[in-house]
Amino acid sequence: MRLLRIGIVCPYVWDTPGGVQAHVHDLADSLIALGHTVSVLTPVDEPDSPDLPSYVVPAGRAVPVPYNGSVARLVFGPLSLTRTRRWLRDGRFDVLHVHEPTVPSVSMLACFAASGPIVATFHTATARSRALQVFGTALQPALEKVTGRIAVSPAARRVVVEHLGGDAVLIPNGVDVARFEGAQPLPGRPDVPTVVFLGRIDEPRKGLAVLLEALPELAELVPDVHLLVAGPGDADDVREAVPPSLRDRVELIGMVSEQDKPRVFASGTVYCAPNTHGESFGIVLVEAMAAGTPVVASDLEAFRRVLDDGAYGLLVPVRDAGALAVGLAALLQDPERRAQLAAAAHDAVRAYDWSTVTRQIVEVYETVALAVPVAVDPSFEAALPADEVDDDAGRLARALRRWMSELPRRGSG
Amino acid sequence: MITWVVVGVVLVLLALYVSWTAGRLDRLHARVDASWAALDAQLVRRAAAARAVAAHLADPRAAGPLDVAASAALEGAVDGREMVENDLSRALKAALPLLVHDASGDASLAELQTAATRVGLARSFHNAAVKDTRAVRLRRVPRALQLAGHRSLPQYFEIDDTTV
Repeated sequence: MRLLRIGIVCPYVWDTPGGVQAHVHDLADSLIALGHTVSVLTPVDEPDSPDLPSYVVPAGRAVPVPYNGSVARLVFGPLSLTRTRRWLRDGRFDVLHVHEPTVPSVSMLACFAASGPIVATFHTATARSRALQVFGTALQPALEKVTGRIAVSPAARRVVVEHLGGDAVLIPNGVDVARFEGAQPLPGRPDVPTVVFLGRIDEPRKGLAVLLEALPELAELVPDVHLLVAGPGDADDVREAVPPSLRDRVELIGMVSEQDKPRVFASGTVYCAPNTHGESFGIVLVEAMAAGTPVVASDLEAFRRVLDDGAYGLLVPVRDAGALAVGLAALLQDPERRAQLAAAAHDAVRAYDWSTVTRQIVEVYETVALAVPVAVDPSFEAALPADEVDDDAGRLARALRRWMSELPRRGSG
Repeated sequence: MITWVVVGVVLVLLALYVSWTAGRLDRLHARVDASWAALDAQLVRRAAAARAVAAHLADPRAAGPLDVAASAALEGAVDGREMVENDLSRALKAALPLLVHDASGDASLAELQTAATRVGLARSFHNAAVKDTRAVRLRRVPRALQLAGHRSLPQYFEIDDTTV
């Protein structure tokens, strides 16, 4: 196996939680475990944090920008440009791997600034990218430098085909299956049928409202049912949405750490994903499956694919609280069916294990990485000599300092 | 006076656009060259692996056509490369059940599977590069001014590579 020098660019702030960041983190770890050399360029809020992996190169601080309906914190500016260019020049990478290059941040900058083998991974399934709409033509020259495109889901792939033309290779998101397998429930939990929800509780598209609406009917069908809700957001709003008689059934444990996630899944008799729309992949379903918890999920395209049309989990109509209650109750009362789904899911998650996913990504690297390494694009070098100005300024300052330190001697001599 | 200034500005803008587009086309053609080199390498690798695997087939009636197809692909026809490679794909498809039976666990079969996957990847990347390049080349101004120079219009490479 050829060992590669790989430069990865993550457009979102490293020290905030997010799917792309988690993906880049796990990918870098598993590439390094295979013996490759990895450097990750990304915006970082706290560059001095001891938690920062040694392979992370900070690209500067991020500014909050309203983007695609929510607030994204992105990096753009002369400082990041200079750092991106220096990183590209000093890294001597065999292949550059940018994530989400259509988001106005360092990935896009790296595309503009680099030449050579570039791999891009597209994560979003949002049909409309604000940046593509406004700057489509201007971005095209940067995006057309990408030599190998990867999409993490069929939905993301469709976005690539529609907006950029040309195909992308399908490689799913990865999960560290071993970390979830055989997880133990959280301590001190009552031994009752439990439905687990995991996700932002105040983000409507995660669908907690549908689950809460289903709760009264579910409690009639399964009298001792409990709801375990994990995720950031205002807990009081959730309590208010539950009838007073059922409030003791709903347990809100707030945001959970990555380390505790497997135990949260393991605490559930079933895991429920009542999402209403906007899911590109459904990595959280794979995580629950890896933890051995049977899944009840909305019949969204991304979920249908992960659950293979219901072979590895139960699909229920989207935004239909009645159907959700019936589906949950049926599975909670059928241990045989649960065991059967868990067994089928156990085999299915192998395809998403990082060992499999990393091998596929390395195959893409090896296909595009030929004799020519990644370099700074010559036309970009000519158009923006900021780095040299920077260096000249440094040289000038050093010369001035030397001159001044010699002044007294000159004066006396 | 003003007319001349306007004409001057337009000429400068046009010159900028032309030189920028020429540079962009240069980059795109370099990408097509690189993606073709990658595809070519993987096709050769696949043909070599197919020939090695053919030696493992117990039945000479199955080994013969695969060996012939692989050898033809290795000779690398300049014209009709797609046809030769497609023949190899077909021969592989026909021999696959036997291959899995006779050469299962063999290193040459693993190499063939790797090479076949890479052909699929390299072909997808090459066709994307061709598509991007053609999109710019076939626009009105680049075509009228022949900004691509003497380089021939890149062609898609279409074969069935869903073999292994």
